[in-house]
Amino acid sequence: MKLLALPAHRRHEALVGYLFIAPYLVLFVVFVLVPVVWGFFISLHNWHVLGEQKPFVGFANYRALLRDDLFGIALLNTGYFALLTVIPGNVVSLLLALGLNARIRGENVYKAIFYLPVILSVAVVAIIWRWMYSTEFGLLNYYLKVLWQFLHLPGDFQPIPWLNSPQSAMPSLALMSIWWGAGGSMLIYLAGLRGIPEEYYEAARIDGASTWGRFRHITLPLLKPSLLFCLVMSLIGSSQVFGQSYILTGGGPHYSTLTVVLYMYQTGFSLYRMGYACAVAYVMFVIVLGFTLLQFRLLSARGEE
Amino acid sequence: MRFSFARLLLYLLMTIAAVIFLMPVAWMLVMSILPEHEIFQPVPHWIPQEPTLQNFQELFKRAEEAPVMRWFWNSLFVAGTGTLAYLLLSSMAAYAFSRLEFPGRNVLFFIVLSTLIIPGQVTIIPVFLILQKLHWFNTYYALIVPGLAGAFGVFLLRQFFLTIPREMEEAALIDGCGRAGIYWRIILPLSKPALATLAIFSFLGGWNDFMLPLIATNEIEMRTLPVGLTIFLGRYSMQYGLVMATAVLATLPVLVMFLLFQRHIIRGVVLTGLKG
Repeated sequence: MKLLALPAHRRHEALVGYLFIAPYLVLFVVFVLVPVVWGFFISLHNWHVLGEQKPFVGFANYRALLRDDLFGIALLNTGYFALLTVIPGNVVSLLLALGLNARIRGENVYKAIFYLPVILSVAVVAIIWRWMYSTEFGLLNYYLKVLWQFLHLPGDFQPIPWLNSPQSAMPSLALMSIWWGAGGSMLIYLAGLRGIPEEYYEAARIDGASTWGRFRHITLPLLKPSLLFCLVMSLIGSSQVFGQSYILTGGGPHYSTLTVVLYMYQTGFSLYRMGYACAVAYVMFVIVLGFTLLQFRLLSARGEE
Repeated sequence: MRFSFARLLLYLLMTIAAVIFLMPVAWMLVMSILPEHEIFQPVPHWIPQEPTLQNFQELFKRAEEAPVMRWFWNSLFVAGTGTLAYLLLSSMAAYAFSRLEFPGRNVLFFIVLSTLIIPGQVTIIPVFLILQKLHWFNTYYALIVPGLAGAFGVFLLRQFFLTIPREMEEAALIDGCGRAGIYWRIILPLSKPALATLAIFSFLGGWNDFMLPLIATNEIEMRTLPVGLTIFLGRYSMQYGLVMATAVLATLPVLVMFLLFQRHIIRGVVLTGLKG
């Protein structure tokens, strides 16, 4: 026993240390460590909640996933959602941060307004946007119609069936999610921008660099760590999208908003197929882990430059 | 001349963006005080002709089918006690990890730290089965305790504790103060900024959490407000004034917190990379 070999006062310190750590550690083991290991174990079984027997089936659940059309749809939909949110969302965040960085009056008010949606629950966001997206009475269709008439566009404005058509449902969820989350990355970009020394811009100005040139050759390269961080974080976040489609569309219409986590939730908590649902969870975990390792690589590669 | 034109354009664009960002929340607030007949109008009534609190009063009358106030208190209790317990447990563990020597310390810390990359949704099914085995399903334990195991607080507080000079504790040790006394009387008071940041994010996270309360409870009385909102939406989907009034209830506490602690929150996002 290592502990007993310690001198008395060190032994006392070690015991105090274990006491301090014990309450947290118990919960950590029960609600983080055991679930991670046990979840994989469950995924190797035909684990129906109500079933008496929970037979071991090896990787059969994973093999079944490969042939599962709905899982394929869920993966593609999640990828589509990531495509629609990650780059456009970060462009919005960066533009807002650039605007804030121009030393405008009332900066804090603008900052607070852009950040405000971030503090809302997904349920509140969904309820607000359900009304925004209402085909008949929604604000979006109303103001689009006003804009249409103002610009004298030809013909009558056709109301967009936002959440009600398979083509527009996922883009609608993406637009809502960008509004919800843009303020978070904006703050990180703003901190990054404030960290760029003013002298660099002055030197470039003296050399006659244009606004675009300064952005392209000073701002973007020096903002690379923030960009990488925010892009990968939003990639990880978007691969776990759940509440938006759970509340607003239930995965529909025609499975057009069925995401991986929603599929996991439905197999686990509506069909009670826990083994299969855990297999879905572990496939998602591997994907997210891949993104995380990518981020570590990119960030450390930068450190070595 | 050109310079001031560019500034004007900048202000114009920023203001348009601000209006777009604010509009959905503002419209929620307006709709919650609109009477039924003013909601379904071809032109939105931004300024109510007959503002009313009847939507909020109506909420209390429906307590049997949709106990909104009970959900409100559940959320407040879960987020409040959860935050206090999280701060206590995380800071105790962080103190041991940053200041006390014991065999296995570094290995344990590495294990705790490495779980930061595991998304909570990956473990939600085993967590659900564990809650059932503990007979915690439909209890406050199920809503509060799993959230206390997150590694982020330990990590953040340990980083902060490491910046506190050791000389202060050594003086206290010589004066006969025990480790517990040092933790309580020296480390915690000196860490108020970090604890406050963690408390705000923990409360916001607990108040807004959706997945855990969704799977940890199924009795209507044990729901929290975000999950309750979706039940409410299912029952009264066309009574939009009512639905918006519940959404306002779910927003007010975090809105007040945001207005009070704005600087803290904004600095916290930048320091921790958390987005709220």
